Amino acid sequence: MLRWLAKRIIAAALVVFVVTSLVFVVTHVFTDPATVSLPLEASQEDRASRRAALGLDRPLSVQYWDFLSGLVVGDLGESFFQTQPASKLVFERLPATLRLVAGATAVTVLMGAPMGMLAAWWERRFADHAVLGFSMASISAPPFWIGYLLIIVIAAQLRWVPTFGSSGFKSLILPSFAIGLASAGRLAQMTRRGIVEELRKPYAVTAMSRGFSRSYTIVHHTFRNVASGFVTMTGWEVTRMFTGYTVVIEVVFSWPGVGRLAVDAIFDRDLILVQAAVVVLATMVVLTNLLVDIARRLIDPRVDLA
Amino acid sequence: MSATGGDGRTERLLEVKDLTVGFPTRDGTVLGVDGLTLNVGSHERLGVVGESGSGKSVMGLAILGMVLPPGRIMGGSVRWKGENVLDEAVANRVRGREIAMIFQDPMVSLNPLKTVGAQLRELLQRRVGLQGRAIKQRSLELLDMVGIANPGDRLKSYAFELSGGMRQRVMIATALACDPTLLIADEPTTGLDVTIQDQILTLLHNLSTELGVSVLMITHDLGVVAQFCDRVQVMYAGRIVERAPIAQMFADPQHPYSGGLLRSVPRVDRAATELAGIPGEPLDRAQFPPGCAFEPRCGEAHDTCRGAPPPLVKIAERRWVACYNRPGEAGETST
Ligand SMILES: Nc1ncnc2c1ncn2[C@@H]1O[C@H](COP(=O)(O)OP(=O)(O)O)[C@@H](O)[C@H]1O
Ligand SMILES: [Mg+2]
Repeated sequence: MLRWLAKRIIAAALVVFVVTSLVFVVTHVFTDPATVSLPLEASQEDRASRRAALGLDRPLSVQYWDFLSGLVVGDLGESFFQTQPASKLVFERLPATLRLVAGATAVTVLMGAPMGMLAAWWERRFADHAVLGFSMASISAPPFWIGYLLIIVIAAQLRWVPTFGSSGFKSLILPSFAIGLASAGRLAQMTRRGIVEELRKPYAVTAMSRGFSRSYTIVHHTFRNVASGFVTMTGWEVTRMFTGYTVVIEVVFSWPGVGRLAVDAIFDRDLILVQAAVVVLATMVVLTNLLVDIARRLIDPRVDLA
Repeated sequence: MSATGGDGRTERLLEVKDLTVGFPTRDGTVLGVDGLTLNVGSHERLGVVGESGSGKSVMGLAILGMVLPPGRIMGGSVRWKGENVLDEAVANRVRGREIAMIFQDPMVSLNPLKTVGAQLRELLQRRVGLQGRAIKQRSLELLDMVGIANPGDRLKSYAFELSGGMRQRVMIATALACDPTLLIADEPTTGLDVTIQDQILTLLHNLSTELGVSVLMITHDLGVVAQFCDRVQVMYAGRIVERAPIAQMFADPQHPYSGGLLRSVPRVDRAATELAGIPGEPLDRAQFPPGCAFEPRCGEAHDTCRGAPPPLVKIAERRWVACYNRPGEAGETST
């Protein structure tokens, strides 16, 4: 198990290395931070002098080595627009994004799993149809629309929770639901399908033939067998949160996270800062996948140790 | 192996009457079990034998009041010591504690993600009500009973870490966990090596004698019946076509289908389901004739056979047959 874990961690580090290198290629070979920071009609001389100021006139290999050695110590360059270390700016914002992803994941898991189990328990009865209806609605609505609705109805009209900002636990509720509802809907459907399928399998039939109720069998026998798929899919949802949903929702809710920082940096033509945000978010994605692998290994002893 | 008790000495445990289980399909409802009648007494080993698809597995589950969707119990009754098992409250009490079932493939019938110990523990805790150290003790005792060496180590094993024979032993241990009075064994040795088959049958035989557990042995293999049972019922197309004590069935089969089955008794060099003595295709449940289901394959069929299914009638002491060519004693239809 320890050797397996060490291998997984090394593999994850390699993926981070490859992904960040790809980011470097895009930001330094296809274009460069100096060009991006200047208006399109800027003169050749302006560009050359800014490139020199930013050290972009050095050979690419030297720049790449600089980039990599900076990466190891957490130095992601200096934000051109804000004249501060990009990593400092990103890491200041990271806790807010992590809180948001944690909240959204909690909504996803705490709604998705029970709804899926309920739907399977009452297969083809009212609760099943209700869960299906909810899932279809939440899946087809874009997160920003759900967020906007929640702001208008719950925050502005009912005034239960604040509409924006990240002050305390209450402000986390709406954006978490805005992101998590669709994920919960997808997960509920997957869980339901998985459990209904498992319930026909001989081990579940055996459990019920020993006198265990349908609900006990769902919770204690079949759910464990769909848990592996459940965790994998939750991982995908979390991945999509980091790379997409949080960006949109942070803008809609004025949430001070990495996603909004990246959007602002794009408007500021601050390529170094965009690059830093992308590197950090990609690292989060890789960490998520690592956690998923570990969780699956803990759930299912048959998962290959290689 | 001796027959245990005649009709006079056994107490009736299970009484199944006119049990009918239907599966809706595009071509109408297929009856997996069709008006089945069956009784099991105490200390009895009853065999139910029939080709694949004759409804044996559907019958086994239906006795516990269970049907896989989209099936439905459409009629008849199942009584356990006089109580109606098709009543959910009774079924909850009876399942596992009074009647326990073991299935063909123990690889998939044991939960793949729970250790042997965990699967025994949940039964002993939730269905028997044992607590603390008693659970561990009883678990070890059960594994020992089914002939598993080093039971302490095996408690920590998962099904995938065990051999086929070992898995079936564990399955039997979980079935015995709640001290049932009747064991329904649905093809418990199919798919196992011949030597292991033998060991499992011997184990079941010894356990049923020592613990006084009745066994309903479901199989397509007459060899298993000969080795294990006191009495046998032949099943065809969801119905019982013949019922007899084991010696009489083998010496003098009455139903044409039973005769065919016996002539095709499995030999090592031939598949057990192959029916040498019976011409025609094995049954296709979607195209049943209105009369006797065996009529299209029967050498003795006549017009009456095409009318309605023949009732199961008593033709001699402890002998019943459902065939128009074997008229029974007047007024004695199946009970
Ligand atoms: N899920 C199902 N859907 C439709 N028909 C079924 C289903 N399960 C069983 N049946 C019907 O019941 C019959 C008996 O099946 P089964 O009890 O499994 O046979 P056996 O155990 O004797 O091989 C089958 O031939 C089939 O027609
Ligand atoms: Mg079967």
